[in-house]
Amino acid sequence: MAEVQTIHDVACGFCGLGCDDLTVEVEGRQVRAKAPVCPEAARLLRRLDTADPMPRVAGEVIDQADAAKAAHQILAAARAPVIGGLGVDMAGAGAAVDLAIRFGGVLDHYASDGLFRNYAAAQRTGWLSTTLAEVRNRCDVLLVVGDDPAATWGRLFERLFPEKPLFAGSNRRVIFLGGAPGEKTRAQLAGASVVHHATTDAVAALEALGSFTAGRRPPGSCFGGIEADTLAGLAEELRNAHYAVVTWNAADLDDGDLVAERATALVDTLNVTTRAGVFPLGGRDNIIGVNQLLLWRLGYPLRTAVQGQASSHDGTLFATQAALADADVLVWISAFRPEPPPAFGGKIIALAHPETVFDKEPDVLIPVGTPGVDHAGTAFRMDSIVSLPLGALRVATLPSVAEAVRCIAEG
Amino acid sequence: MRLRLKGGRVLDPANGENGVASGTVRDIEIEDGRIVAATDLRADAEYDLGGDVVMAGGIDLHSHIAGGKMNLARLLMQEDRRAFPEMPGNFCGCGGGRAVPTAHATGCRYAELGYTTVFEPAMVGANARAAHLEMADIPNLDTGAYLVLGNDDYFQRLLAAGAGQEQVNAYVGWMIEATQAFAIKIVNPGGINAFKFNARKMDLDEANPHYAVTPRKVLTTLIRAVTELGLPHPIHLHGCNLGVPGNDETTLATMLATEGRRLHLTHLQFHSYGTEGDKRFSSSAARIAEMVNANPNISVDVGQVMFGQTITASADYMSQYRNRGLASPKKSIGMDIELDAACGVVPFEYKDKSFVNALQWAIGLELFLLVEDPWRIFLTTDHPNGGPFTTYPHLIRLLMDRDFRNAQLATLNKAAQAHTLLAQIKREYSLEEVAILTRAAPARILGLTDKGHLGPGAVADIAVHTEDADREAMFSTTRMVFKNGRLIVKDGVVVELAQGTTHVARPEFDRSVDKDMQRWFDESVGLKSKHFRIADGELRGGAGPTILKCEGVAS
Repeated sequence: MAEVQTIHDVACGFCGLGCDDLTVEVEGRQVRAKAPVCPEAARLLRRLDTADPMPRVAGEVIDQADAAKAAHQILAAARAPVIGGLGVDMAGAGAAVDLAIRFGGVLDHYASDGLFRNYAAAQRTGWLSTTLAEVRNRCDVLLVVGDDPAATWGRLFERLFPEKPLFAGSNRRVIFLGGAPGEKTRAQLAGASVVHHATTDAVAALEALGSFTAGRRPPGSCFGGIEADTLAGLAEELRNAHYAVVTWNAADLDDGDLVAERATALVDTLNVTTRAGVFPLGGRDNIIGVNQLLLWRLGYPLRTAVQGQASSHDGTLFATQAALADADVLVWISAFRPEPPPAFGGKIIALAHPETVFDKEPDVLIPVGTPGVDHAGTAFRMDSIVSLPLGALRVATLPSVAEAVRCIAEG
Repeated sequence: MRLRLKGGRVLDPANGENGVASGTVRDIEIEDGRIVAATDLRADAEYDLGGDVVMAGGIDLHSHIAGGKMNLARLLMQEDRRAFPEMPGNFCGCGGGRAVPTAHATGCRYAELGYTTVFEPAMVGANARAAHLEMADIPNLDTGAYLVLGNDDYFQRLLAAGAGQEQVNAYVGWMIEATQAFAIKIVNPGGINAFKFNARKMDLDEANPHYAVTPRKVLTTLIRAVTELGLPHPIHLHGCNLGVPGNDETTLATMLATEGRRLHLTHLQFHSYGTEGDKRFSSSAARIAEMVNANPNISVDVGQVMFGQTITASADYMSQYRNRGLASPKKSIGMDIELDAACGVVPFEYKDKSFVNALQWAIGLELFLLVEDPWRIFLTTDHPNGGPFTTYPHLIRLLMDRDFRNAQLATLNKAAQAHTLLAQIKREYSLEEVAILTRAAPARILGLTDKGHLGPGAVADIAVHTEDADREAMFSTTRMVFKNGRLIVKDGVVVELAQGTTHVARPEFDRSVDKDMQRWFDESVGLKSKHFRIADGELRGGAGPTILKCEGVAS
């Protein structure tokens, strides 16, 4: 029997919140997380003592070098590859960009819809934003737009509302504009006063709130199902805040781009007289880190094509789904979780989490280890400022994405 | 591996050698990446320099090349990237951009100009790991970063609680080690913090609305800290009231506040504005330069404004927020960061027909020409804030060629011409002075004893320029550049990518501070201090840093 080893202060790279105080038990090949941990992290950290799957080419088990060779041949003959998924640590991201430079290809992350909805504001007009530790200590009025984000970020409110914030005082307010806060959220917000205003149209409500905040009374008595007077009251509260913060999850909102724009405008207005910031939620599977690396390596964010000695960026054309329409090869990389590739008629090379279930057998499958479980790595938090060192919890038996890509490049 | 560079005119002010003035040529010998005394041994390769000018590789002590704010700038100014696509030739993933070039383009363009070492002057602790990852992807350059300190709530709390200097020193030492920094930068001392409490301006003796700490206290405490920790580089200061007409008084008061201790004032041009004239905006360069000349403890870099489109990126969110109305194109980003600092990113176009911009240009040149000691002034545009570093050759010609300078001046906004004494200044920089400004002096003030000169023991970072009376043409290209003794640029073209190193400083400090840092990170930041800390192995793809050990002085 292997000894049970307890590891404290484990950093987690899955959801983008960047919790780094997890306790994990490791017993031989087995891994299980203990409190404090959210359900998502517990699920994604869990490992059983099962044998790793082997690399396969066209369904036939093969050794890793031959699988890499087969992938190399497919890429060498490819006309228009897409390098998608990109659930990778920083070393894996660098390797993926190297791969695109070597063979050409469109680079996108599978969870980039929310990011690009936010860019409707961040890139077009710019915005005034803030980071986790600032919200945690300064924010006295938090406006949450959309559904309760706790379903995706299980410990969000626990992190944002500590027992003793430095400056926010004891009378912190949280306003939910959209879905009702769940039980867990209410528990995490026990020290704050919470109000909920259901809305049928968050964009309309937010826009009206922006008008009231700017001292204008928009025509109408009701906006997105919320009474004008209620919104006027909320505007007053925001104006009187020392440090108001607006947060939303653009990936979860069909009109996420409009929410980002209206939230940005609201925060701009507030900053004329007081302080405020936007705090957009996101960051799953190191998307922020991969995007950062693309910006410094290629000068463009995700959804960038490297082709013919140059790269170009188009947030619509080079989104995974659109790019696949013109592609002949998909390199699907997902190391953090068993995210399956989208339906695709061309050849698929998968560098995949060992538990991935495929609808269609990939042409080449190379199972890869998970950063923060099987090998060390770096992943960014959602605010794009802080990044965390992820440690290895057990001895790696699978290659990292960076190692697997290097093998493919060498062919 | 032994190389011999034959028959160059050696310009090496640090060692008192001026082959350009004397007309003598000599060989330089390199063994395993370092310069050695001449021998008769057979060389593995020889390069005939034919009398060309040989200098140590250029050192830029203040250029924003990495970190989150540069990526925000790239994100915001995609126009810059699209307008400057990949250079033709062998594709190495070089990317492009001019105001905010990619990591590869930064390394390649700098190398083409003969630069081999560049320091990022505003690394925010919370973002340090990212900045180091980015620097590792810059080819051809050695790098290092100055840690932004003084606006962080931990430090402000220490001062407000009346902590002793010893306690402050321990904190500063801990932060330098944890973030793998080389020096301490103060940006708008206390102002960034005050802005988080909704203060909109902050003078040298104004109290922080929450902590009641003044910028003067921040400055003098941190000056003492770096002195007592023995850091080679003095406090690198971006002062109060950047860009505000009338900030000349603050700047003069700041120099006096040092009480004779060393201080480096960065992008001084942006801090040399008076309020004279009907536009209430005037040059105070003469007054400021006089004060610099009279105080040998002061060093400065200029932050010259160069006309054209650029983007400004600074930790000084207070000032950047104030200036966001001037954004061109009309968009900007601001961010409060982690109880630590902040950033503001504002695109800007400096126009030669604008009174203010033309006068800013003239003020920068006045400073260059009126500060007498070339060992205490450094050639910078505060890239990209005053203009991209690729404009350096033009700037060098402005300094070296009075007729050219005056011809440029004559094309500018007429009112601005009337408000500057530039046309009357006769000084022209010599090649030797340019070599001091761009090599010897930065190496000295950074404490890099094996850089910035060509004596035995120096790192073989070498730039070879063919002399040309048109100094802009001369410095726009290099005949050869060697990095650690490897030829990386030939006839102006990058022929090989070298992996640089990252310089860090390691002071001794009282490690008992670690316990309080753990508590601070646990309770307030909401992150483990051990995860904030960056391990040596995280730098340069596992190669680790080049460590400069500091010898503390008695307090």
